[in-house]
Amino acid sequence: MKRVLVVDDNQDLAENIAEILSLRGFVATVATSAEEALPMALPEGPELLVTDFRLPDMTGAELVQQVRRHRQAVRAIVISAYTDDGTVAAAKDAGADFLPKPVDVGALSRLLTAA
Amino acid sequence: MPHLAARPNVHPGAMKNLSFFENIKLYVGFTEASSAVLREIHPLASPSFGAIIDDFYAAIEAHPGASQAITGGQAQIERLKQTLLRWIDKLLVGPHDEDYYQLRARIGRMHVRIGLPQVYMFTAMDRIRVNLLDVVRKQLANDAARLEPAAKALNQIMDLELAIMLETYREDLETKHRNAERLATIGQFAASIGHELRNPLGVVESSLYLVRQHLGENADAPSVKKHLDRIGSEVHRANKTIHDLLDLARNKPPQKRSTSVRELVDSAAEAALLPSAVSLHTEVAADLTAHLDPDQVRQILANLFTNAAQALKGRGQIWVEGAPSPDGGVSVRVRDDGPGIPEEDRKRAFEALYTTKAKGSGLGLALCRRIMEAHGGTIELEPGPGGASFLLVFPGAGPA
Repeated sequence: MKRVLVVDDNQDLAENIAEILSLRGFVATVATSAEEALPMALPEGPELLVTDFRLPDMTGAELVQQVRRHRQAVRAIVISAYTDDGTVAAAKDAGADFLPKPVDVGALSRLLTAA
Repeated sequence: MPHLAARPNVHPGAMKNLSFFENIKLYVGFTEASSAVLREIHPLASPSFGAIIDDFYAAIEAHPGASQAITGGQAQIERLKQTLLRWIDKLLVGPHDEDYYQLRARIGRMHVRIGLPQVYMFTAMDRIRVNLLDVVRKQLANDAARLEPAAKALNQIMDLELAIMLETYREDLETKHRNAERLATIGQFAASIGHELRNPLGVVESSLYLVRQHLGENADAPSVKKHLDRIGSEVHRANKTIHDLLDLARNKPPQKRSTSVRELVDSAAEAALLPSAVSLHTEVAADLTAHLDPDQVRQILANLFTNAAQALKGRGQIWVEGAPSPDGGVSVRVRDDGPGIPEEDRKRAFEALYTTKAKGSGLGLALCRRIMEAHGGTIELEPGPGGASFLLVFPGAGPA
């Protein structure tokens, strides 16, 4: 079973996304900041990462880059209500896919399953 | 009255409860006696109207900038000459009352609408003044007692005409300015509020999804399903409003390319999810193409279709007519056989946040206009009885 870490400073949203992914067969854990997320993203941590772009302590793109230092092959998806070109480009530059909020759960699980 | 210049929204006579026209007449000293003088010189001047009109249009035709506003060729010029004849006729005959002002203002707005630059309006009016004065001077060369009041009255009425024309241009600028201000204000708030609302809506939406999953078959019980569906459709509507708001605020430049108008109409109809009792008649030649951003214009058409379907209360006809325009562009008309748009709402129909619908956001038509303007085109609500009729005009692809 694939493990996924869901990071969003809106805890309700993070938990809902995690719960939906659990229903779809993933093992999901939740963090509400980069600080909280980083220790969970160890070399043997989840192979999938879903993160909001605007976290309280850094951007989701920066989080993806930091996680990759420990776990290079992590598959990352950045989600955001901000769909401007800059945000999307920052996510792509970090090697992550981008999905706009509100998140289409079908699209999200397809991206995660394709990993 | 130096302070008046700083208060362009208050016409000088407002304090005395005079209408704009009464006030300007007062200012230039135009009275009933002036009207009578003009009526008297009408028979003297009317034989020369034809020559004045020919001179007027010869000057326009000879000038590339001024003639740009005339797109219909010689046939249009002939019609315009007839209009100008009636205009000069009424200039002298009057009566110079409030109806006269309204009629003149309508003509002025027409010039604004076709995009005649103000400088040409100004100089063209002066051409008529000079020629009319010339005729009167010749006719009354030996009647100095009549010449002076005649020239004075002519100058006064031409001053009034110019003031009316300038007023219509000012009205237009003010409307544009007000719209731009509204959009700028909306833009600032939209970005922050829109994004902030997306998160709670995302929670509601995902919780709704989970509740449905957890309820399983119980979610289909009518008393439960009704409310789950309501939550779902209202969240969807809120998301759409935010989406439109952010689109409006973002003001994305169009990515124009040659596009089949018929295919665009078809895909817009699909996106609009029209009720089955609303039939759409597409009268667009299969080979008609336009230079536009298909994604943005699809949004316009889908918006117009949705509006029409709502006005039709789910039952009626929508027609889409597409035609090439003489300048290489394309015009598309969307009309329906619904109740139409009441006169009092017509002026504000394209204003952002203006809506007459109980569940409207007031963004749809504002967004349509924003997109058309970004295309260098226009969208207008056509006058006339019956259902609503919108005309979209896209300019040609060639060098402007």
